[in-house]
Parts: sequence; C-alpha cells; structure tokens
Amino acid sequence: MTISSPVLRNSMRLILPLTLLYALFAMLKGHNEPGGGFIGGMIFATAVCTYRMSHGYAAQLRLLPIHPRILIFLGLGLALGTSAVPLLLGHPFLRSAVGEFHLPFTHHPFHYASAMAFDLGVMLVVVGVAVGMITQLSEELE
Amino acid sequence: MTLILAICVAVTFAVSIYLMTARELKSIAMGVFLLGHAANLSIIAMSRTPVRHEPQLLKGPPILNASFNPAQPMSQIVDPLPQALILTAIVIGFAVMAFLLSLLVITSRKTGTLSVEVLAREGVEE
Amino acid sequence: MTTSATVWLLLCVLAPAVLGCATLWLPRRAIAARTLVALLGPVASFGILLQHFGAYGVSPIEAPAATPVIDWIPVLHLNLSFLADGLGGFFGLLVSGIGALIVLYARGYFGRDEAALFRFYPTLGFFTTAMMGIVLADYMLLTVLFWELTSISSFLLIGWDRDDRHAVKLAMQAFFTTGLGGMFLMGGVLMCGYATGLGHGEGLWRWSEVLGAGAGRINVSDPLIIWSFVLMLFGAATKSAQWPFHYWLPGAMAAPTPVSAFLHSATMVKAGVFLTGRMFPVFAALDLWGQIIIPLGAFTMLLAALIALNQHDLKRIFAYTTVSQLGLLMCMYGLGSLDYHGHANIEWDITQIANHAFYKAPLFIIAGALGHFISRDITQLNGAFRKQPAMVITMLLAGYALAAGPGTISFQAKEFFLHAIHHAQESIGPWWMVLMAMAAITAVCNVAIFVRLLTTLMGWPGGMKREASHAHDDHAHGHAEHEHGPWAHLIWIPGLVLVSLQYVGGLAPGLWTQWIAPLETHAAAEGIPTALHAFMHPTLPLYVSLIAMAGGAVVGLGPLMRGAIVDVHDRIYPAMYWLSVTGGGRAFRVIQTGRFRNYIVFVLIAFLGAYLCAMILDPAMLDWPATESIFEFIPGVLLGVIICATAILMPIVQSRVVRVIILGSCGFSVVGMYLLYQAPDLALTQLMFEIISVILFVLVLRLLPDTKETDAASGRWWRFTIGSMTGLAIGWLTLVAAQSGAEPRLGEFFARHSSTGTEMTGGRGGGGNNIVNVVLVDFRGFDTLGEITVLSIAALGVFSLFRRRESLPTQDEFGDQLMRSVRA
Repeated sequence: MTISSPVLRNSMRLILPLTLLYALFAMLKGHNEPGGGFIGGMIFATAVCTYRMSHGYAAQLRLLPIHPRILIFLGLGLALGTSAVPLLLGHPFLRSAVGEFHLPFTHHPFHYASAMAFDLGVMLVVVGVAVGMITQLSEELE
Repeated sequence: MTLILAICVAVTFAVSIYLMTARELKSIAMGVFLLGHAANLSIIAMSRTPVRHEPQLLKGPPILNASFNPAQPMSQIVDPLPQALILTAIVIGFAVMAFLLSLLVITSRKTGTLSVEVLAREGVEE
Repeated sequence: MTTSATVWLLLCVLAPAVLGCATLWLPRRAIAARTLVALLGPVASFGILLQHFGAYGVSPIEAPAATPVIDWIPVLHLNLSFLADGLGGFFGLLVSGIGALIVLYARGYFGRDEAALFRFYPTLGFFTTAMMGIVLADYMLLTVLFWELTSISSFLLIGWDRDDRHAVKLAMQAFFTTGLGGMFLMGGVLMCGYATGLGHGEGLWRWSEVLGAGAGRINVSDPLIIWSFVLMLFGAATKSAQWPFHYWLPGAMAAPTPVSAFLHSATMVKAGVFLTGRMFPVFAALDLWGQIIIPLGAFTMLLAALIALNQHDLKRIFAYTTVSQLGLLMCMYGLGSLDYHGHANIEWDITQIANHAFYKAPLFIIAGALGHFISRDITQLNGAFRKQPAMVITMLLAGYALAAGPGTISFQAKEFFLHAIHHAQESIGPWWMVLMAMAAITAVCNVAIFVRLLTTLMGWPGGMKREASHAHDDHAHGHAEHEHGPWAHLIWIPGLVLVSLQYVGGLAPGLWTQWIAPLETHAAAEGIPTALHAFMHPTLPLYVSLIAMAGGAVVGLGPLMRGAIVDVHDRIYPAMYWLSVTGGGRAFRVIQTGRFRNYIVFVLIAFLGAYLCAMILDPAMLDWPATESIFEFIPGVLLGVIICATAILMPIVQSRVVRVIILGSCGFSVVGMYLLYQAPDLALTQLMFEIISVILFVLVLRLLPDTKETDAASGRWWRFTIGSMTGLAIGWLTLVAAQSGAEPRLGEFFARHSSTGTEMTGGRGGGGNNIVNVVLVDFRGFDTLGEITVLSIAALGVFSLFRRRESLPTQDEFGDQLMRSVRA
C-alpha cells in the first residue's frame, strides 16, 4: 500500500529521522519523564508504517532489515533476561537495581535503573508487533 | 467533569453493545474497538483525578515525582495507578484489534460471508 | 534410629522400579538375565525390610517410631520418612514377596515373548515401588502420592493390550474410579491436617503422629474430622472395590494374568483395606466407623459372592470372590470397632489379610496357566486333570482354601470372622444374626465354587458341561507354541509355593503364630488354635461353618445357578461416561449456538441482573452523587460532545470511509480527554494507537467485501434497548465509583516509592521519576512481562493465520472435526 504523493514523500524524509530519534528519546527518558517503552515503541512503529506508506515496502526493508518476528523474540528475551538476572544473584525475580555513572565529557551524572533494559525489551516487542501486523495485512492487500 | 465522562462512558458503551449485537462481523469489530475506549474512560473517570483548569502539562506533568509533594493529601494529586493500567490496556487493545481484524479477513476469504447468521447456521448443520 | 534407616527404607521402596527399569538396558534377547534383574528388585526390598525388622524391631502401634525425616518439600508437609509397624511391614513383605513370585510367573506366562517381557518388567517394578510406598510411607501425603501412582500403573497394566479397544476402555474405567477415590483420599488427608492444626499450630501430617503422640488431638466429635474420615474411607472403598464401585475390579481382568494375580487380588486392591487398618486405631472411636463400614462390607461380601457363583470365566469368578473377600475384610475392621468385654472386637487381622493373598493369587496364577493351555472358561475345562495334573492339583489346593476347609489357615480366618460377628451381639443386638446369615450364604457360595471346580476339573459327575463355545483364552497374550524345559514350569510353580503357606498355617499353627504374631497388632496371647482344637470345643461359629459346607456341597452339585450372568453394575461407568460425554455434547449443541449475539446477551443479562440485585441490597447506590456543574469546564464539555456524537454516528453511517474517519475522531477526542486528566503518557500512547489503528482499519476494510448491514427494525429496537440499558448501568456505576473511595489508595504507595524508598520498603525505591513508568516496569513488572507475552502471541497468531493459507482447515472441515470430537 503506497500513496504516491510527493508532499508526503518529501516531508516523510524530513520527519522520519526526527521521529525515530524522538521514539528512542521517549523510551530512554521514560523512567523520569513522560515516555517509556510502550510509547517509544508505538511512536517508532507509527513512523515506520508511515514511511512504508510513502516510500513502499522496499524502503521499509532498508530501514528495518529484519523480520519483525525477530524483534519480538529479542524483546521478549531481553525483558525475561533482565527479570531473571536477580535470580542469579539470589534476589527475587524482577528486582531492580538503580545507580548512576558519569559519562565522559558531561557534568551531569547519568541516572540508570535496570528497569530501563526491561523497558527496552517492551519497546522492541511493541515495535515488532505493530510493524509486523501492519506489514502482514498490507502484504495481503498487495 | 466526572459527570461529563460518565455520560461519555454511557453513550460509548451503549453504542458498542448495539454494534456488537449486529448481524455483521465488521460492525462487531467496530463495537469491540469502541468498547476499549469506553472501558478506559470509565477507569480514568473513577480515578478521581482533579482536573486543573489551566493545563500546564508540558511544564510539570503531575505524574512526575518531582512535582509530588508528600505533604499533599492524596485527594489532591493524580493517582498514577489507573494510568498505568490504562496504558497497558491500550496496547493490549491494539493487539486484540489487529488479531480480530485478521480473523475477519480470513473468515471472509474462507467462507465468502461476514454474516454471523450464515456462519452459525453452517457450523451447526455440519 | 539414624537417618541411614530412612535411606535404607527409601532404597527398599525404590529398588523394584529402579531394577525394573534397569532391565530396559539389557539386550532384548537376554531373557534369563532380564528375569533375574527384575527379580532382584522385590527380593532386595524383602531383604532390606527383614533387615530393618532385625535391627529395630517392629514399631509398636501404641508408640509408633518412624524413621528420621529427610526433608523433601517441607512447605507441603511432604517429606521422606517411613513407618515400619506391623501392618505396614507385613504389607511390605507381602508385596515384595508376591512381587518376586510374579516376576517368575510372568516369565512362564509370557514364555519367550521378548517384546512383552521387555515392556512388562519395568511397569511391574513401577507398580511394586508404588505399592511399597503406600504401605511404608509415614507422611500421609506421601501415601497419597504413591496411591495415585498405583492407579497409574494399574491403568498401564490393564490396558496392556493397546490394540484392544475394550481393554483400553476398561483400563480407563479402573483409572477413573480409583483415581476419583485418590482425590477423595487427598481431601481427607488435607482436612485432617488442617483440623488438627487449628489451635495447635502445626497439624498432624504423619501417620506416626496421628497414631501415636498426636492421637489425643483428634477430636472425634469435630465435624472436620468426621468429614476427613468419610473422605478417606471413600478413597479406601473405591480402591478396595466396595459396592457400588466394585465394577472396576472384574473389568480389570482384561489385564494379563500376572497382573490380575498381583494387583487385582493380592496387593493393590488391598490398599483400601490397608488404609482402613491404618485408620483403625484412631478413627474407630467414631460412631460412623461401624455404621458405615459394617453394612458396606457385608453387603459387598454377599453380593459379590452371589455374582461369583453365576460366572463361567475363571478370572471373573475369582475377581468376584476377591471383591467378596475384600468386603469381608472391610467388615472385619468395622466389627473391630465394636466393644467386646471392654476390648476392641478384632483378632488376628493380619492373618485374615494374609490368608486371602495366599490362596487368591495361586488361583489366578493357575487360571492364567489353564487359559494358556486349554481355556479359561470353566465349561471347557471338564476333565482338565488328565491334561495338566500339576496345575489342577495346585488350583484345587487353593480352591480348598477358598472354601475355608479345615487344615488351611483360611479355616481359622473364617472362624475368627464368625466369632467377631457372634461377639457383636453385645453391641448391635439382634442385627448380628443378619450378619451371620450373610456370612453363611457367602461361605455357601465359596464352597459351591470349590465343589464345582473339583467336579469339573476332575471330570467327575456333577461338573460343568461344555456349552456353546465362547471361550476366553489367554492365547492372545502368549506364545503360539508351548515351551518346554525348566522355565516352562514357572507358569504354575509360584502358585504352589504360595498356596503351601496356607497349609503351613493350617497344619502347623504354632509355626504360623511364630512368624506372624510379631507383626500382629490385635493378636490373642494364646496363638492361633488348630482346627482340631476347634472341633474338640465346638461353638456356634463352627456349626455355622459346617452348615455352610453342607449347603455349599448341595448348591455346587445342584442344577441351579449354573448360567453366566451379567453384573448390572458394569453399566455404572458407561452410564456416567455417556452422561458426561454424550450429554455434554448435546448440551454443547444447545448452548453453543455460534451466534455471537447470544453470547453477549447472556453475559449482559447476567450483569444487569447482578446490578439490579446490588441496587436492591444497597439503596444508597441510587442517590444522586454530588458533582459539579456540567458546564464548569468548557474544553471538557466540547470533548465530551465530540466523543458522544462520533459514537452515535458510528452505527448510522454506512460509508466505510466516513466510518473510519469517525472512528479516528472519536479516538482523538479521547486523547484530549487524557490530556485534561493530566495523563501525558496515556495521551501519547493513545495518539499513536489511533494512528496505527486507523491505518489498520483502512487496510482491512479494503480487504473485506463491502456488505451492508441487514437487520429488521424489531431487531434494531431490541438491540437499542439492551445497549442503552447496559450503557446507563455502566455510566451510573462510573459516577458512583468516582464518588466513593477509601484512603489510602494503592496509588499513593506507588507515588511515594517510585523514586526513593521509605522505611516501609527497607529504603528501596524504583529509582525513577515518572511514576506511571515505574509502576509499569518495576512495581507491576510481572504484569507487563505477561502483557508483552500476550502481545507477541497475538502477533504470531496473525503471522500464522496468513502464512500457510492452504493448509488451514476450511470452515467445513473445521466443523466436521468439532462435531466428530463431540460425538466420539
């Protein structure tokens, strides 16, 4: 399903990097400001789908060169792995750890929580699910 | 404000039931879609969040801990739990919706009809 | 006792299964080695148990001493500890001893059939272990565990012939019946542990506590204890084939004869009797004990004996006499609770149990052997003595014990039982005469069966004659050509070994007393009297026995009751099966109309009904909640109007493009609503959701045919009514719920702990500033994990729906499959 509109094509080329960047930003900052894995994933998926509408399936494949199924498995594995790590350390399932470290050339300490890795897993799953479903249905249409 | 939301819930719920009891699968899908909205609105209405008359969301969203004053009584601040529940509900709703729509496409291809009556009759007579 | 005692007894329990499974690694052709390894298991168990008795003695029932506990699952009160008291130890010796003989018999029975032996020995070992576990376990739940294992292994063995649909059906019947009993037993055990734990902290979970130190904590007037007893007894009754659950035992005769001889005569069916014996010291104080067990046992005894007389298949005859004998044993424990001169009215219970095993197993063994060489139908066996003298003599020796003739231990056992009935007149008054008559008729039947066996097998006048041929042969299980050499005689020698014990007990009671008395809980000090002694000092029971023998001879030689009848109880299980499967299928067809509308209406009517009930019970729900004016906040009003308007428009509009636009605008208004409610996360997510679902809808609507809604006006009115009623109900509910609410709310906890912890959480916090996000990925992380799993499954479902279009069943095929499974 492609919409051949030059306006859409050109504006998408501009908007897409910003949207993807914002999706990542929303996911990473989600622990402290509005955002999170679900939102980041949804934004990412929306951007990919809109890009597909304007540029076609081949372009989407260049942008996201793996089957969404793999993203789903990666995300689930990451979330499950993050939850299971505390078991190895003798803590209950899903216990989180927090801390902060200094990145080079910055003044502010970077605040992290292990739950962020979990959130990344959530995001991967959401992206995989949303993109996968839309792709599947539009393949049917073609 | 709660009253407005309650009216919205009542109307959307009524319409979604009306759609879901239809004889056609497409209407049923729409009904399910609307039902999700109705349920989410109902939950957020029950959360008793005080509505601010001058939304200042982009400056200091009230769900952030920074703007949370421990001395403040709970009745004056936003309850985060319903929001978290609705957030998951929205995403699950999306997956359910997509699955339902795919089933619709498959059903229509296999049987050539979307009428609940025809489908049920064929199933029982077999 | 040290922990090593527990380990040794654990080995004793596990040895048969371990060595039985070890035979799987032997080469298929090594039959002799296979038999020997399999034999080693029960022999080892027997030896270990004897050694245990030698080292620690028999644990007295007044102060039972279990072996030290090895923790297994302490939380569930399921640990490893064994109790080798007289009853359990005796059963252990019985099971392992007969188990060893059955291993040898199976070698004779299956002959050189490698495949059968390959499969048989591991299963048999598995069963032997399960049975040893039941009788030796100290933890009650451990007993339940092994109890279920015997049901499973019995199922495997009854359904031995996997191609025989009938046998498989009978295996299911036995499994469901005894498995159901196992459920009840578990319920009883749990209830007992719970009831004894009330007010005492830890409950009683071990037999040694229940029988020993904790016996005083069992309050026999506590309804929980009474129920616990009833449930446990139900388990015992199903396992020991008491009426009306006895039907499974004759059905279990579909198993190969070694199995029948072992499981369904000597050991597994005695598990119920064993359990009754275990419960006896404590629960016999309940009034219900005698009131339930005596009539149940006596009725089972009489009924099964009468049915046994009217059978032709040897295995069925012996199956019914087994049921009869099990009824007798239960009745014995029932009578035991009655008072006799201030003592429990029970003597030599273990001798009575042993007696049955020592003649019934040989009867089955020879029945299988005769079935191999001639036939299992008694009418086909006229004059079998001339063909197989050794087998026939063994069978007649065992049959003489079945008839409780003088000179066997069976005679003494019968006398003890009749004495117990006689003594019962102190407690139950004239009812004892009814019991005595029932016992006498049972004895008549047993004697008559022996007389018929004797005359028929010897070819004497009065025997059963050949009729129309409907033979039950064991050829299906066995070898086509008969084997010769020493191994071939294993098909009857184990029977002779066992039955000889009967005559040891009968002719040399002193020796028997010496062996058995240490295990007996209820032994009289003077030992077992000889038959001669009984005749020298005649009492009423002796006269009854003599009358029964005379009557049995008359009935056995007489022309009556020579046909083969069908037991009506055989219909119980098929009827239950029909009711649940076919009846369920019919109900399914009535309820599952396939019309989505019907399902929704059922749910909604139930909901509205519950709602109505709540309003009647709590009229405060009808008060108008205090709310602000609607027009207080104009943006809210505007959004609300858009939401309502788009919702109402949705069913009215028919054009699909407009429908999608309406759907979208409704969603975007909801986004606005979330913004007003200060939920930026929600608003963002909903926004993206709307975009993606509009795309989805556009895609799907293009894939679907553009059909129009066709519904009659009446249908529309009706839908409108139920829709608006539900809508009103939910809306009102929302309003009411928004007004109420208790403090503190759960959200408050999350709000206070999202970043840093308080002393309540030990200083641990979520480490995040966004409370909603912390709730999602930390506080309720498990929920989110489950949710993304659901998401993945939905996506995989969509992928697979479209993947292989051709291989998916069409509507017709799917319906066919469904209906076939319903009818089956």
